[in-house]
Amino acid sequence: MSYQFIKLQEKLQPKDYRSNIEPTWCPGCGDFGVVSGLAKVFSEEQFDPTALTLVSGIGCSSRLPLWMNAFGMHTCHGRAIPAAVGARLAKPEIPVVVTAGDGDLFSIGMEHFPHAARKNFDLTVICMDNRMYALTKNQQSPTSRSGYKGSLTPYGNIEEPINTIAFAIACGATFVAQTYSGNPKHEAEILQAAVEHKGFSFVNILSPCPTFNKIDTFQYYKGRTIDINKELGHDPSDYVKAVELASHALDHDKDPNAKVPLGIFLKIEKPTFEDKVLALKQKYGASDNPDWDKILEKYRP
Amino acid sequence: MAFDLTIKFAGEGGEGVISAGDFTMRAATYLGLEVVTFKSFPAEIKGGYALSQVRMSDEKILSQGDGFQILFAFNGEAYEVNKPLLKPGTVLVWDGPEGGDFEPEFDWLEKQGVIAYAVPMSKLAKEEVGAYITKNMVALGAASELFNIPIDVYKQQIISKFSKKGQDVVDLNFKALDAGINWVKNNIKKVDPYRLPERRPQKDVIILEGNEAIALGAAVAGCKVFAAYPITPATTVGNYLSEIILKANGYVYQAEDEISSMAIVIGASFSGVKAMTATSGPGISLMQELIGLASMTEIPCVVVDVQRGGPSTGMPTKHDQADLYAAAIGGHGDGQRIVIAPTNVEENFYLTIEAFNLAERYQCPVLFLTDASLSLRAEAISTPKIKEIQSRLINRPLITKDMDVNLDELLRYKVTDTGISPMLAPEVSPKPYTATGLEHGEDSSPRTRPDVRVMMMEKRFRKLKNIEDENQHLLEWDLGDLQEGEKADISVIAWGLTASITKEAIQRLRKKGYKIAALYPKLLYPVPVKAIEKVASMSDIALVPEANYTGQFARFIRMYTDVKPVQYNIYRGEPFIPAEIEAKIEELVGSKVNA
Repeated sequence: MSYQFIKLQEKLQPKDYRSNIEPTWCPGCGDFGVVSGLAKVFSEEQFDPTALTLVSGIGCSSRLPLWMNAFGMHTCHGRAIPAAVGARLAKPEIPVVVTAGDGDLFSIGMEHFPHAARKNFDLTVICMDNRMYALTKNQQSPTSRSGYKGSLTPYGNIEEPINTIAFAIACGATFVAQTYSGNPKHEAEILQAAVEHKGFSFVNILSPCPTFNKIDTFQYYKGRTIDINKELGHDPSDYVKAVELASHALDHDKDPNAKVPLGIFLKIEKPTFEDKVLALKQKYGASDNPDWDKILEKYRP
Repeated sequence: MAFDLTIKFAGEGGEGVISAGDFTMRAATYLGLEVVTFKSFPAEIKGGYALSQVRMSDEKILSQGDGFQILFAFNGEAYEVNKPLLKPGTVLVWDGPEGGDFEPEFDWLEKQGVIAYAVPMSKLAKEEVGAYITKNMVALGAASELFNIPIDVYKQQIISKFSKKGQDVVDLNFKALDAGINWVKNNIKKVDPYRLPERRPQKDVIILEGNEAIALGAAVAGCKVFAAYPITPATTVGNYLSEIILKANGYVYQAEDEISSMAIVIGASFSGVKAMTATSGPGISLMQELIGLASMTEIPCVVVDVQRGGPSTGMPTKHDQADLYAAAIGGHGDGQRIVIAPTNVEENFYLTIEAFNLAERYQCPVLFLTDASLSLRAEAISTPKIKEIQSRLINRPLITKDMDVNLDELLRYKVTDTGISPMLAPEVSPKPYTATGLEHGEDSSPRTRPDVRVMMMEKRFRKLKNIEDENQHLLEWDLGDLQEGEKADISVIAWGLTASITKEAIQRLRKKGYKIAALYPKLLYPVPVKAIEKVASMSDIALVPEANYTGQFARFIRMYTDVKPVQYNIYRGEPFIPAEIEAKIEELVGSKVNA
């Protein structure tokens, strides 16, 4: 036995998953694509908006739960994943999606990612990756390319970016994919596969910031992406191949001929943390009304 | 005179001092005696000075006492540390005449009127039993023979502790007990008056350690998610809870740090279940931002702080009452919180349940301030009536799908006269909302308009405006035989473990004719202004003893009331002893009379 997500009998339209609060994002922000993509997937999945939880930290992207018609937690900077873990521990039948930015997930919140991944919580973690900090007005993030000029790096970023795909695989995530908010069809397919995956799924969504980041733009990605599954025939159950492909994910930063890989790098099955807890509870006879007399017995003199 | 005896085992960490105390505590409880233990050990796994003390009486005991009548000194350091406490008539059992690492000063002991018995614990363990590790059991054998401690209980403890390791380990320990017994029989002529009484009718009690009581309380209160990161002296709350909570359909989760623990608690509570974390000072510092989030989003949660000596790593295993500022006002911005503190093990149990009730009722974080000494103190308490307790549990005002509500008017942060709003949770409620740490309107959408800000700040603080009036049971009064309108010699306000020690001091002083008005607040923040002003008005002096340097509660009293309390602070890493508070009060009242 394992946990199943709560679903509606009838399908709602994607617009029914949007709240009446208008997004405050800049016009042309890549994150708009993520909102429409998620709304479409939730509609396809027939998730009940009153039994669906979106969790975020702080940053432009992290405002996303506010724009959606679902339960939402807009928490502290970097703390989306543990708040989501709390939700999973409390009610494992409720689908939980984390929507975070690259700074939120991989800088201030970095400590939480590996642990939720290795424990295989049944969570969908989406990184809306604009490769810089937008809300604080243009600083380098852990995914900023080398040489990036931000407000704190006027002479160019001297750091190397983190390869989030390779990192997620190394942490033990059981579903790792990359998509691009300029390709709504691909994005919706990947998001749906991620949500349907039982276990920790990580989706890096390349989501350009039109206001500050003048390098990683829609224009930059256009014609430079490659679908690793359809065009390269990558089988996501092949772990070794997934690691190899992931190791080239950032080659395009330095090699003008290298492509930006999109698609599912890894998809493997492992028991989820929640199912293991359920198994323990069943084995040891968990009950909302346990035998208190028996429990108290061990404290007797 | 009631039977009142304290036995202290002192030695080096890892020598079995703590087990010796625990076994003796259980033996006393078996006889039907009341017990209070006091333990202290270094932060390291082995080595360093450790002590375990058991006070036993046929009447209710309030504190660990002023000292001891019987000392088992396992080594020279234990003797040296305790030498100043060896009073006339006390018994010293020391590791000798051969095999130990010290020899007491016999002339001094004789002059002092101390009775010294030599029991070669190390030598017997090594040579007769063949295992140095059984030194403490040799001591217990000797204790049993010398002071009439039921040997069967010791044997039972050995079986339950060691049977998993095999019958030969059990037999080895039995052999050590016998070695101790035989040594006393053949070599010691008893000249002291101390003997444990015969067994009396068994009371319906359970034995709990401080942290165990918190764990049991949380499970009874219906806590389903407990997330924490190991930290001394709070770790054992999770250890004890892990077994019970699984049976009660919950889970103990070891998080990667304290920040994540607090986020998990908030995430779980947002999702509709009761959740708790337990930590100590450094952990509270890390959690502050998220405790603020719980205030802003009005998510009920319980944060246990087992205080230890700080700041920084400080003294991880030692007593302190210095996290009150951090608990009450440690966060940024104006956030509402409730801080409560238990005064004994029984309250660790009942007030943990109360912490959940307060969190659910007022929809805010409740900080539960206990301490290192209380975390290890064992007491036998009346067996709690679980069903009755559970029938009084408070639950958040959750709107469910089967209720007839107008969805357009259903606002998570609705402004009400009480400040308490309807609560929504995934799966059970008909309408979703987003809890945000941003300032928000009644519907939870972000707002920065001045009028909305003012309205919401006032709404959140309105919840706690009458907390003192609504929770009189969190204010323990003790006026002795003071008559209405009669002036007291002194007013005393004490909280946490210091309160239970103060109570004992006050009982002694009343027998000497002192008139004392005492208040033991379990609700510390918001500060119970009315009660404090009332107790202070009953005399000319208001004394606040606290085990911290700055007098944290005394300063809150100055800040929130017109009372100017006299502070009495200790900060040595140990709790007060009753005699200290007794002497302080005599000094203060005496000086008043002379003035």
